[in-house]
Amino acid sequence: MNIVSVENLNLTYEEKGNKNHILKDISFEVEKGEILGIVGLSGAGKTSLLRTLNLLHKPDNGKIIFEQEDITKLNEKTVIPIRKKIGVVFQHFNLFRNKNVYNNIAFPLLLEKIDKEEIKKRVEKIADEIGLTERLNAYPSQLSGGEQQRVGIARSIITNPDLILLDEPTSALDPMITKIILDLVLDISIKRGLTIITVTHDMDVVKRICDKVAYLKKGTLSFFGETHEFFASLTTKEVSEFENEFLTDFEKIKKRESDEKKFIRVVFWGANTHESVIWDTAKDMDINVNILYGKIEELKKGPFGSLILEISGKQSMNFIKNLKEKVYYLEVI
Amino acid sequence: MVEQLLKATGETFYMVFFSGFLSLLFGLPLGVLLYITSRSEGKKKIYFVLDTLVNIFRSIPFIILVLLLIPLTKVLIGTIIGSNAAIFNLTIAAIPFMARLAENSFNTLPSGIIDSARSLGTTNWQFISKVLIPETLPDQISNFSVMLINLVTYTAIAGAVGAGGLGQLAINYGYYRFQWDVVLYCVIILVLISQLIQFAGKKISTNLRK
Repeated sequence: MNIVSVENLNLTYEEKGNKNHILKDISFEVEKGEILGIVGLSGAGKTSLLRTLNLLHKPDNGKIIFEQEDITKLNEKTVIPIRKKIGVVFQHFNLFRNKNVYNNIAFPLLLEKIDKEEIKKRVEKIADEIGLTERLNAYPSQLSGGEQQRVGIARSIITNPDLILLDEPTSALDPMITKIILDLVLDISIKRGLTIITVTHDMDVVKRICDKVAYLKKGTLSFFGETHEFFASLTTKEVSEFENEFLTDFEKIKKRESDEKKFIRVVFWGANTHESVIWDTAKDMDINVNILYGKIEELKKGPFGSLILEISGKQSMNFIKNLKEKVYYLEVI
Repeated sequence: MVEQLLKATGETFYMVFFSGFLSLLFGLPLGVLLYITSRSEGKKKIYFVLDTLVNIFRSIPFIILVLLLIPLTKVLIGTIIGSNAAIFNLTIAAIPFMARLAENSFNTLPSGIIDSARSLGTTNWQFISKVLIPETLPDQISNFSVMLINLVTYTAIAGAVGAGGLGQLAINYGYYRFQWDVVLYCVIILVLISQLIQFAGKKISTNLRK
């Protein structure tokens, strides 16, 4: 069942008399329990898209169907009950500075007429789940980034929302804390059957937690589908835009280019990722195969490998043709 | 002499206390109104009117304002001299001042916090009472002490037109009768009062800042 469907969404900003078309005709849907990653380069409209989903930005036209209701028809007042069902976690945490951790987490409950004892019970339960029990009396300024983001997550899930929006939740954190926070998000999403939409430019986040990917390019949705399909669909140039490590290697590789040599990028997915497909194919041919770059990563739904090979020899074209049939994706660079 | 100084000090305190209280009571909500109307589409006209009124009242020199308010003071207070009439004048002068200070502090609230509050589904009223004011409280305390010190100065000016208090004592005895020692004592006490307010305001504000 779809929890959110976005249909032909358009968003423009008026800036100094100029109309900026931020989102162009975006359509996608998210099923209950899924984790969707919205990715793209800076300025592609990722955060704007996320902000329209709880109407922090009002789109110009198009529909956002949340649990069978088109929320774009609501105003700042009538959208309140919807917002209470959608938790939001921000890049810079956005905690209330003059409230301690307890009151930050309890804040959404304090807006309702809920018994103080009940609130206390629920805050303590969440704090225990997320590892904040020791810090309930601290103020945000006394917390580390990782702790602040835990508070942000606790605050967003205390009302048992149906959907969580994460806006670059880990980009202000170091890699170690990022891993811990992502594991926490994954753990919560599984335990509570939460649907999550996260904006990120970090491909590790996508690989680790996302079931599906929406890839924005200058305001248009250039890809929407399963995570492994997304990684396979990226051109070599796009991969180098997203992944630093790959970019450095790729630039070195390009310097080796010559007429006799061919470069190919090969992508493996699922069961055959760990098989020796390349050697089996190359075995009886008169060619040289040289691995210039290689990586196998565990996506949420299985292993995903990508290689860059340098091939020389008479049967190069044959090798490429045969190999293409055995791998998930192959591109001659 | 000491007796007169004590009496005048008491009157100054009385005027500053009540006009301060009333200015806060009306000035802070006016500040909230300025902040809210400046930020919501469709309420820009209301903001323009309020903003202009605040500017006008803040531009009029206090002594002129007192003169302009004479008919109104007479109707509302029954007299134009004495501490109560002065409290009315002081309050009218301080409300726009307090409102503007409050608005400026509200404007420093980071947009991220506003996003947070909106995302969590706060109503307008919940936003004001649970986010806007608590989050800017340390600044509002500082603003309040700035306004009180301003009121101390204003009481001295009001003294020139019969409000009583240290200002009037300094003018009557010191300025008109050349008793410069009285002027000195009055000034010393006024400085001490200002220092006290500043100190207390800073202390409270620092303690509240987390």
